[in-house]
Amino acid sequence: PQQDEPPPFLGSWKRVYQAIGIYLVTVIVLFWVFKRSFTP
Amino acid sequence: MKTLDWVVLFSTLTAIISYGLYRARGQQTTSQYLLAGRTMPWYAMALSIMATQASAITFISTTGQAYVDGMRFVQYYFGLPLAMILISVTAVPLFHRANVYTAYEFLEKRFDARVRALVSCVFLIQRGLGVGMALYAPAVVLTVILGWSEQWTILLMGCVAILYTVLGGIKAVTWTDFQQMLVMTVGMIIAFGTAISLLPPGVGFTDALRVAGAAGKVNPVTFNFDLNDRYNLFSGLIGGMFLALAYFGCDQSQVQRYLTGKSITQSRLSLLFNAVAKIPMQFFILLTGVMVFAFYTFQAPPVLFHAEKLTALQGTPGFSRIESEYKEKWQARRLAAEQMLAAETPETVERYREAHREAEAVRREALTAAKATDTNYIFLSFVTQYLPAGVVGLVMAVIFGAAMSVIAGEINSLATVSVIDLYQRFLKPQASDSHMMWASRLLTLFWGLYAVGTAQLGKTFNLSLIEAVNLLGSLFYGGLLGVFVLAFYVKHVTAGPAFWGVICGEIAIFAAARYTDIAFLWWNVIGCVVVIVSAIILQAFRGRQPATS
Repeated sequence: PQQDEPPPFLGSWKRVYQAIGIYLVTVIVLFWVFKRSFTP
Repeated sequence: MKTLDWVVLFSTLTAIISYGLYRARGQQTTSQYLLAGRTMPWYAMALSIMATQASAITFISTTGQAYVDGMRFVQYYFGLPLAMILISVTAVPLFHRANVYTAYEFLEKRFDARVRALVSCVFLIQRGLGVGMALYAPAVVLTVILGWSEQWTILLMGCVAILYTVLGGIKAVTWTDFQQMLVMTVGMIIAFGTAISLLPPGVGFTDALRVAGAAGKVNPVTFNFDLNDRYNLFSGLIGGMFLALAYFGCDQSQVQRYLTGKSITQSRLSLLFNAVAKIPMQFFILLTGVMVFAFYTFQAPPVLFHAEKLTALQGTPGFSRIESEYKEKWQARRLAAEQMLAAETPETVERYREAHREAEAVRREALTAAKATDTNYIFLSFVTQYLPAGVVGLVMAVIFGAAMSVIAGEINSLATVSVIDLYQRFLKPQASDSHMMWASRLLTLFWGLYAVGTAQLGKTFNLSLIEAVNLLGSLFYGGLLGVFVLAFYVKHVTAGPAFWGVICGEIAIFAAARYTDIAFLWWNVIGCVVVIVSAIILQAFRGRQPATS
């Protein structure tokens, strides 16, 4: 219920979904690196 | 608490509440009282959304949880960013355009009054069960840590929250939340910095992380898939997303925050800010708990952080052995930690882990003897014993503020649903706006007094019973989410199948909770799916009925 309401930024909802996907993957990778760095 | 702490605590809270009431002055209509006249900017809504979610007990126990169980609790929020976008795309524009006061009002426009009444009552039961707990739980901890009277702590927190909520409505609640989140951020940064500065000479931030990491505390992501395990990547991404969808999309205490937005864009911005900020915020709070763990690796911790239980057990002969044994094991662990930091080899790491396991085994023995957990007491015990004067008062202001912002948000939303979805809809449909305004104030007062009353009853019952009642409240989210998914996405389902779908979904959740060990994050997934599937099947059956008869 997407076409007529553009998001506040990034121009389209598809880009917002992509951005949040990249954000989540980055967070998970950073957490994994953080865990590996300090767990001998 | 020293004199300076009392000054900081009361001046901070007075400033926060005065500002909230100042911003809320001059309200004349029900729309202004319950929805701030739809004039709120995104940043005020964003911080209010975060403050409503971050209760005092969440704040106290998250740091304690990092001490006991490590950082894996942060995965609980992995599904939240995606949920925020889904709500921004669907619920926000639909609610705004329908010009509703409550999410459940929308259900009547989509289905019928029966579905609206059912879901409103589910919300009132669910929130009504939890609202007393939100006051009682932090009061219990403050009573033990600070030696205050439980009764007066509940009265103080409850009455102040009632005062500004009844007088200022949602505008006062939102601006008070806004200030409280700023104070909370400052308080947490200072507590975190102080915890690092209290580490012994020669032990830095990364050394503290190595000590905590070797003990298995630095685990913000875990990849094991296990339905019975509360926090892992999969339960967080899938179960966490469903929980966030239900909480932010269907719970009036959250929906009302973003219904106050001056436009659809402002409301969306508030949710999208939450999508990005929530995980780092929780990570930081958990990291503070990890620093407290590292601090107590080098500074002798009590065998129990629950001071009341510790004092009660200290006279018993068996417990003296446990205490002296724990001190011995802690010293061995500290020595092993120092050796590991001096030279990290597989041998020194294994020696440290073995010493940590032995110390934890003795602590578990003490917890068994006390018949209690002490997770909620760890952080405040550290704060009151080791943080400098003034900072303790600031952290207490954070705890008080968090408790009050949750109570204020809940009694405000309970009153809104009572007035709009039940009183006005079924009892006084022709009531004037000034009548509704007074009804809103009186019902806010009623729910506030109800919260204080049920929190006071907590002393009569035991805490585990109160926690069980609170858990019972969380069983309703799956059904709520299911009916809203039907409303937004499954256009051919009508009111009857939706009504019975909710009933089927709730039965499924209660069965999963009662007869299986499935972790609670999955209950919402089960409930939501059962609501949708059963409603679609009932609709298909209903569609065929005339032909077969």
